[in-house]
Amino acid sequence: MIDRVLAAAKRAVDNADALWRREEQTGVAFESGRLKAAGISEEAGLNLRVLAQGRMGVAGTTSATPDPEALVARARASADLGEMVELAFPTADASTLPPIPTFFDRTANASLDDLIRMGKRLVERLERSDCQVNVSVEREIADTAVGNSAGARGEYRATGIAVTADITRIAGDDVLMIYDQYVGADMPTEADLEALVRSMETRLTAALTVVGPPEGALPVVFTPAGLAAVVLPLEQALSGKTVLQGSSPLAGKVGETMFDERLSIIDDPLTPGRPGSRPIDDECVPSRATGLVVRGTVGHFVYDLETAARAKTQSTGNGRRGFFGKPHIGYTNILFRMATDGRRAAPAPAALGGGLIADIEDGLIVDDLIGVGQGNVISGAFSHPVGLAYRVQRGEVTGRVKDAAVAGNAYDLLKKIGGFGTDGRWLGARWSPSLLLEGVSVAHR
Amino acid sequence: MKDRLTTAVKQSRADYTEIRVERTWSSAVAFRGRRLETATVSEDQGGFVRVLNNGCGWGIASFTSLDELPAMVRRANELSRAVRLDEPIRLAETQPHVADATLDLDGDVRGVSLAEKKKLLETYNGAMLSVSSAIVDTQASYRDEVSEVWYANSEGTAIYQLRPEVVLSGTAIGRRNGSIEKGLESIGLRKGWHSVQGFEKQFGVVAQRAVDLLDAPRVRGGSYPVILDNELAGVFIHEAFGHLSEADFVYENPQAREMMTLGRRFGKPALNAGDNGAERGLRGTLPYDDEGTPTQDTPLIREGILVGRLHSRETAAKLGERPTGNARAISFRHPPIVRMTNTYIAPGKAGVGFQDLIRDIKLGVYACGAFGGQTMLENFSFTAGWGHMIRDGQVAELVKDVVLAGNLFQTLDRIDHIAGDFTWNQMGGGCGKGGQFPLPVTEGAPHVRIEEALIGGDV
Repeated sequence: MIDRVLAAAKRAVDNADALWRREEQTGVAFESGRLKAAGISEEAGLNLRVLAQGRMGVAGTTSATPDPEALVARARASADLGEMVELAFPTADASTLPPIPTFFDRTANASLDDLIRMGKRLVERLERSDCQVNVSVEREIADTAVGNSAGARGEYRATGIAVTADITRIAGDDVLMIYDQYVGADMPTEADLEALVRSMETRLTAALTVVGPPEGALPVVFTPAGLAAVVLPLEQALSGKTVLQGSSPLAGKVGETMFDERLSIIDDPLTPGRPGSRPIDDECVPSRATGLVVRGTVGHFVYDLETAARAKTQSTGNGRRGFFGKPHIGYTNILFRMATDGRRAAPAPAALGGGLIADIEDGLIVDDLIGVGQGNVISGAFSHPVGLAYRVQRGEVTGRVKDAAVAGNAYDLLKKIGGFGTDGRWLGARWSPSLLLEGVSVAHR
Repeated sequence: MKDRLTTAVKQSRADYTEIRVERTWSSAVAFRGRRLETATVSEDQGGFVRVLNNGCGWGIASFTSLDELPAMVRRANELSRAVRLDEPIRLAETQPHVADATLDLDGDVRGVSLAEKKKLLETYNGAMLSVSSAIVDTQASYRDEVSEVWYANSEGTAIYQLRPEVVLSGTAIGRRNGSIEKGLESIGLRKGWHSVQGFEKQFGVVAQRAVDLLDAPRVRGGSYPVILDNELAGVFIHEAFGHLSEADFVYENPQAREMMTLGRRFGKPALNAGDNGAERGLRGTLPYDDEGTPTQDTPLIREGILVGRLHSRETAAKLGERPTGNARAISFRHPPIVRMTNTYIAPGKAGVGFQDLIRDIKLGVYACGAFGGQTMLENFSFTAGWGHMIRDGQVAELVKDVVLAGNLFQTLDRIDHIAGDFTWNQMGGGCGKGGQFPLPVTEGAPHVRIEEALIGGDV
């Protein structure tokens, strides 16, 4: 399909690139502990970008039998209004792509019954008399083909599986919700599912007691899940797009130490076993890792072809595209890398706080915040009510805290990290441990 | 198309079958700063099949290849039969409906050139950029669509709906030295080209606000008396109460049912709230929901007391209540789940205005505009676009980063005054639930006063 569309484009415009993708999902859903639904979804589509007289245009379709000429005509009409861009389409051919396994037979071959059995076992292990358990298991198989008029081609098959579980416990007027997930390209092992169950049980057990919240500028441990509010501003500020637009506070700071010197963050599309990994991006750029934060300094911003052209640099292979709209910048797998400081606590992966709470006189563990992403994110300022948080007193978790709000500035807080937890884990496309951050504002009613 | 659906339904071997097919024509224009990002026209189409068998669960199939429709009906039936259930799923009785429901296109967007749409948006984007040199970046977007939706089920319902939608949004980013602020304008309507004209002034206002916020202090954290403007009060009722009234939260959960018993008091007698999918011309408005049930005005809170909830056919049957027309899906890629439509706080006494609410507040916060909201049911957040301190009964200095922490049982009950100045706030964006985002919804409210609410920030 890609070849036909690119051939049609070649007759009508100067240059073009395209993505074709077919996705097939199979999912089962358990509601309140019982299997309620099984479903499949099949989708295929094509996204075309053209350069006509230097102007860029795009068109997409989910038609099963797309007419290449009509698609090219629509992209040309879009280019008539488009901006001038000097895109340099890569010429990589498929044989030079980095090797990264994206397709796992076990995942692809799992039957509906296999998925149901996995969900059922998880439900049984999570069930408690006073709680409602929902579990879903979703498997995806995707075929992707990318190509451009410069001759680059790339093709790969990928599998993905997501197992999500949530527990709701309502006691009187107290609502407690605990959520966790396993996401991978390969099927979860017994140990992966056991880790998921233990993580949920640990957080549930510690949450059964409700205690009053503290107040003031306090030490707060952000768990890998709770860290979202702190990471989001960085993700926005490290995007080549916000740098170009002049709205990134990290623009012009490459090489400057802006964060704790033990902190490094990379974007790595070549991490084995992750659904975010792939050999080539959606614009035919071969995959490679990018150091976003390197030992506390601002490393490299991420770019797609268009922003790279405008910034007079190279694409980092972070081009992403859907069926509709133009390619844009997307992270793949974000990994925190810490230089060990020699004072690491003994590994205790299941313990809340990742071994960081022993020296806390009074503070919080934040596992979930409400409304993340809805404020003035790129400024670094955040302010959120806690969704799930625990009070730490004299080095011990004393119970769950409600009706409190935490606030701070991500860039300031990351200048001095009080400690890196021993509980590093994947959460979606991000791997991080818990971080202890000092001086976070905690307000309560 | 209608015939293809009814034929496929007839051929199904399942006890209950429903099919939804959608064909959506849309166009989009976006600017970032002075540069055009995109100007595109797209067509998306696909189908959704859902079946049910006695003693079995839901079997679901969604697909983009419509030629596969009969095969997908068979697949859905197999999937349903793979799900064995002791307690059967029942659907509440509804009258079968056969209807063509065409909403007013209000200037059919399909007849307007992409160049004209670009020109309109360029004007609005320009209105933001020209406010000040401190505006370093903007995001302006225009998106329209006309969606044709066919629905048929094995009980005899066959409905065709034509649904238009148009969304304008503008974000202005102001920057000076280390400080970065944003202003946001967003307009979403279930209408067409005529209704998105003449918004230059509003786009200029948000850019000016981004500049003004650069010099504003962050609000100090703590508990305050708070007045919500119409827009934030709408987001508030959506997050604070709307999601709790969605019956899929309670129908399988006895403890939740107890907590949300009809007749329980949630607010003072001044508080009345509801959800109205049948109100004319709003973004959440639909003649029929995605199970073919007609929409309606459903009172949720009357004089402070819980009187109703929002249902799909499944949740209504389980709770012995009536379907309310709130089963909605964002597209053919998803099953219908219980969602809000146009959710509102009803106006208080006519003539009661903002001044009556602010008069006796010594120190408080006037929270305005909405960047968003999110709920975890008992606790929720709602993020204001900006705020002003209230000092001695007067609106005082501008403050930023105003995020309110709400609690279902405390915050609703502390609403002590409701003004008479009701408006529907037709914002873009939308509501997210169960992986389905953005669902077009509208919120409406007058100015509302909360005696005491927690605001995050330095203490």
